[in-house]
Amino acid sequence: MGAVIVAGLVSGSIYALIASGLSLVWGALGVFNFAHGALLMVGAFVAWWVSDPAGLGLGLFAGILACMIFMVAAGAVLYVLLVRPWIGTPAVELTVIMTTVAGAMFLENLALLIFGARLKALDQVVTGTVKIAGTAMQAQNLLVIILAPVLLGALALFLKLSKHGLAIRAIAQNDEAARLLGIRVEVTYLVTFAVSALLAGVAGVMIGGLFNITPSMGNEPLLRAFLVVVFGGLGSLPGTIIAAYLIGLIEAASSYYIGIYWTPVALFTVLIVILLVRPNGLLGRSA
Amino acid sequence: MTTTETIIEVRGLGKSFGSLVAVDDVSFTIRRGEILGIAGPNGAGKTTLFNLITRNPFGPDRGEVVFDGHRIDRLKPHRIMRLGLARTFQKETSFAKLTVEQNIRLGGVYGAGLRGAALQAAIEATLEMLELAPLRNELAGSLPVFQTKHLMIASAMVARPRLLLLDEPASGLNSIEQADLQRLILRLRDSGTSILLIEHILPLLFGVSERVMVMDFGKKLTEGPPSEIARDPQVIEAYLGGKAMENLHAT
Repeated sequence: MGAVIVAGLVSGSIYALIASGLSLVWGALGVFNFAHGALLMVGAFVAWWVSDPAGLGLGLFAGILACMIFMVAAGAVLYVLLVRPWIGTPAVELTVIMTTVAGAMFLENLALLIFGARLKALDQVVTGTVKIAGTAMQAQNLLVIILAPVLLGALALFLKLSKHGLAIRAIAQNDEAARLLGIRVEVTYLVTFAVSALLAGVAGVMIGGLFNITPSMGNEPLLRAFLVVVFGGLGSLPGTIIAAYLIGLIEAASSYYIGIYWTPVALFTVLIVILLVRPNGLLGRSA
Repeated sequence: MTTTETIIEVRGLGKSFGSLVAVDDVSFTIRRGEILGIAGPNGAGKTTLFNLITRNPFGPDRGEVVFDGHRIDRLKPHRIMRLGLARTFQKETSFAKLTVEQNIRLGGVYGAGLRGAALQAAIEATLEMLELAPLRNELAGSLPVFQTKHLMIASAMVARPRLLLLDEPASGLNSIEQADLQRLILRLRDSGTSILLIEHILPLLFGVSERVMVMDFGKKLTEGPPSEIARDPQVIEAYLGGKAMENLHAT
C-alpha cells in the first residue's frame, strides 16, 4: 500500500511538471505543443552530457544548471521556428500540431545520431533509502515528491506576482485586451514557451535520475500529460495539477492490483466517466 | 504645424478594405486639455479611426498622425501607448479572472512601464480616482456593468496618458450612471488628460465636448461647438436623424 502511494506520487509529480507546461502553452496560445516530450528528452540529454564523465564530466549540479539554462533557450527557439510563423493564420492549432510533431521527430533522431541508442542514466542527487511511516523508499523518490510541489508553487507565484506571469494569465483570458494595455503578446508567447520548456527539462532530469535516458523517453510521458491536461480541464493549472496526481495514483494502484496491461484501460475508463459527468474536465471552464 | 498647444494632429488619415473606404481623408486636431466628441451613425468609421490612430489592431494606409511632437503612424501599438496615448474599447476588455487591482497593475506595468513604488502609487491614485478602491480585491468578472466600465478606464488611466480615446463608454448604462460618467470624464480631463470621445448617447457627448466632429461613410462631415452642430440642419436631417436631435433638445 505504502509502495503504491509512493509510486503514484512520484509519477504524479513528474506528470504535474510536464502537464503544467503543456497547459500553460495551451492557455496562452491555444495550441498544443507535441514537441513537449522531445524537449523533456533534450533536457535529460543535456544534463547527462554536461554531468557524465562520458561527456563533459562536470558533475550533476552543473548538468542540472546547464539543462535549465539550455531549456529556456530551447523553448524560445522552438517557439520562433515552429509556432510564431503561423500565429494569426486561420488553422493555427492544426498547423502547430504538424510543425511540433515534425520538430519532435527531428529532435528524437538528432539525439539518436549524436548520442546513440545505448541507455544512459543520470547520477542520483541523493542515494540510499529512507523510511517514512513504515514505508521504505529511495531517497531520490522522496526528493522528487518534495521538489515537484516546490517547483509548482514557484510557478504559481510567478504567474500571480511577476510581470510576465500576469501577462501570461492576461493573454490566456483576453489577448485583444492584453494588446490594448500595451502587452507585447508575441514576447509573452515566447516567455510562455521558455517557462514551459524549463518545466519539461526539470521533469526530464527527474526521469533521467529514476529511469533511463533514451531518445524516445519523452513519448510515453507526453501521452500521459495530454491525458492529464484534458482530465484536469484545458487551461486550468490547478485542475491540471490535481489531475496529474490523481492519474499517477490511479496508474500505480491499477498496475499493482490489476496489472500493467490493464492500466491504460483503467485510466481511460476513469477519464471517459469523468468527461461524461464533467465535459470540461475536473476544473475546466466552459467554452 | 504642431504647436505646444496641440496634443494631436491627424492629417488625411485613410484606410480601405478592398473597395470599401472605411476612413476617408480625415483630418482634425485636439488641443491640450480639450474634449473632442465624435458623432455619426453606425458604420461611419468612428471606431476604425481609433484603430488607425492607435494602430491597434491595424494602422492606416494613408495619412499622418503627430502626437505630442512625435510621428506615430508607423510605430508599434505599445510604443504609441508608451508615448502617452491610451484607448478603451466599446466591448468588455477587462480580465475576468484577475482582481481589479491586478487589472490596473497590468496597465501600469505594460502601458506605462512603471515599477516599484511609482507603480503602487499610480495604482492607488487610479483606484481612488475611478472609485474602485473598495473593490480592489474583487475579481473583474464579478463586477456590474458600471464598475466594469470604470475598470476599463482605470486600466488606461493608470498610465497617466496625455490623450485618452474613449469608445462608447456609456453604452449599457442607465441615465443616473450616465450622469456619473459625464462627471467622471470631466474629472479625467481636469486631471490633465485630453480626451477623444465616441458616444452614441448625444446628451452626454454634447454635454462634455468642447467641439464635436461628425462622421459618415468614413468622411468627416463637419466640426464645431456642440451648440452649432446640434442646430446644423444638414447634420440633423441626414446624419443624426430628427428623433435623436429632438431628444437632445428635450434634455
